[in-house]
Amino acid sequence: MIEDFNNLVMGLGIALQTYNIVIAVVGLILGIIVGVLPGLGGANGVAILIPVVVTMPATTGVILLSSIYWGALYGGSITSILFNIPGEPWSVATTFDGYPMAKAGKAGKALVLAFFSHGAGGLLGIVLLTFFAPVIAEIALKFGPAEIFTVMMLTFSAFVGLSGKSPLKTVIAILFGFILAAIGMDIVSGQLRMTFGSVALMGGFNFVVAVIGLFGLGEIFLTVEEGLKVEGIVARVGLKDVLEGLKEIIRYPKALIMGALVGCWMGLKPGGATPASFMAYGFIKQSSANKDEFGKGAPAGIIAPESAAHGAGTSATLPMITLGIPGSPTMAVIMGGLMIFGLQPGPMLFKEHADFVWGLIASCWVGNLIGLFLVMAFAPLFASVLKIRFSILMPIIVYVCAIGAYAVNNRVIDVYYMLIFGVLGYLFKKLDYPIAPMVLALVLGDMAEQAMRQALIMGQGSPMIFFKPPIALPIMVAALVIFFWPVIAPVKTKLFGKKT
Amino acid sequence: MRKADILVSLLFVALGIVVVYDSVTLGFQWGANGPESGFFPFYLGVGLIVGSLLVLRKVWAEYRQKRSAVRLIPEGALRPILWVVVPATVMVVITELVGLHIAAALYLGFYMRLVGKIGWATTLLVSIIVPVSLYFTFDKFFLIPLPQGLWGAKLIPF
Repeated sequence: MIEDFNNLVMGLGIALQTYNIVIAVVGLILGIIVGVLPGLGGANGVAILIPVVVTMPATTGVILLSSIYWGALYGGSITSILFNIPGEPWSVATTFDGYPMAKAGKAGKALVLAFFSHGAGGLLGIVLLTFFAPVIAEIALKFGPAEIFTVMMLTFSAFVGLSGKSPLKTVIAILFGFILAAIGMDIVSGQLRMTFGSVALMGGFNFVVAVIGLFGLGEIFLTVEEGLKVEGIVARVGLKDVLEGLKEIIRYPKALIMGALVGCWMGLKPGGATPASFMAYGFIKQSSANKDEFGKGAPAGIIAPESAAHGAGTSATLPMITLGIPGSPTMAVIMGGLMIFGLQPGPMLFKEHADFVWGLIASCWVGNLIGLFLVMAFAPLFASVLKIRFSILMPIIVYVCAIGAYAVNNRVIDVYYMLIFGVLGYLFKKLDYPIAPMVLALVLGDMAEQAMRQALIMGQGSPMIFFKPPIALPIMVAALVIFFWPVIAPVKTKLFGKKT
Repeated sequence: MRKADILVSLLFVALGIVVVYDSVTLGFQWGANGPESGFFPFYLGVGLIVGSLLVLRKVWAEYRQKRSAVRLIPEGALRPILWVVVPATVMVVITELVGLHIAAALYLGFYMRLVGKIGWATTLLVSIIVPVSLYFTFDKFFLIPLPQGLWGAKLIPF
């Protein structure tokens, strides 16, 4: 504990260097803008800036990437409260009560409530990160290839069993991601796979390009299809709103604490932030004395989902940094950024690059605090980004996406891939194939395959190595139960007659 | 929507067959140094085929039950989407000739003026200022060279 504290102080020393603070502020501002714009999300913002980050020192670069993420978390709520359009998927639940409250003339208060809830959720997430990350990393040091593979199985099982999407289509999306990752050079034997003599396919697909296409362009097509019309509520956040919001938030400690807890718990699992916000909203509505208030601007209906979303977003850092398994597409892209610096996320990172890890953790503290201040002070300014006509914004977004896709590998072919992935993302969205697990499979593909092959060699070909106690066995069993949950749940209901 | 669903799952089946074929040629069994190159993709391919066939069966049953279905792309929405896809593709093609920034300037101007019906003054201003500032940020400040195409280097004198 004391050692962690010393490390944190050391990390703060790095995060509070003037250059790093300036970078954090730039990242936060970009992140908030990206979060405010529907169609551009955190994953995309981070992906586009990966080439820029390479020119910086590792710690600074990762501070920039994570600041964009924090900014996007904050920014999403501005759009949902003032425009009734979720700027990010996890702020959908905020529109239920945030927009009605803003419409009733209390836009400032609604924003303040949302921002403070974000701050509180984030705070709990960071505390968790600061004190549990070293512990988990210590345990993870004992992991061999078999254990790493089972943890990955658990990650993907969570998508299949718990996401609420069609389990079959989720499996297909995951397999498709793995197949895309396998194209190109086989990392173990050096043979070429599925290239069919094409030089362009030899390099394989870069997942950053896929992310930009799937999330950036795909979302744009959806927005264009819906014929976006933005009509917002004008808001000003004055000192009075801040005080009033603070007073209000203290009156709902249950919503705040429960939201943050649900968020942090869900964030540890993949794809957490969006279900977390819905779950928190549902819980607080169920347990509230006056349910009728919800949907008409209940403060608790803003506090719970917002603190859950930010809590989930923050605690998603934990599995990424300790196990090398990102919980969300944005985290996957940040992890990709780490790997470009030659930093392999996972338990060894704590041993080999302690200064970097603690610099990153400290920057979570700093970034979230500065972010809170920024949105509080400049929310109306950021909201005005949405006043720009969509037909001006849209081509600029496409242009910036093209820059990002090209600059990853300096290949024009990647820009074509981006366009194809854009159409694919649109189709996937329409047909209910989830995109997040596919991106994760694409990111983790090589690692998963390597871990599996090494484990099988260790086990001399017997798959029983994945059921070896004490670590692999429980994880694998949990993974299987969760994977088959869509099948188990109805059986259980039948047997016990109770709805789960 | 269902027709598209069926088509996509058929495509996935086809992809699965391609993957399985490729991994069989590479060898998917236990080789001299453990699993061969095609080992992992082989099972991915098999999984993809089985999964897609299951989806296909489900969608087909629904399709036969009620033929009227929600359209994949709502009426009248295909045009605006094509208005995004086609010019963006053309931009990339032009990029190979004159470089990304000039191509993007043309693209911005084209989309804002013809599709967005934005006034000439704004169109010109945005389609000049944005590429120029991005050019200086990326190519000059961060030293990330963006594609210049065949003639781009000669067209940008600074």
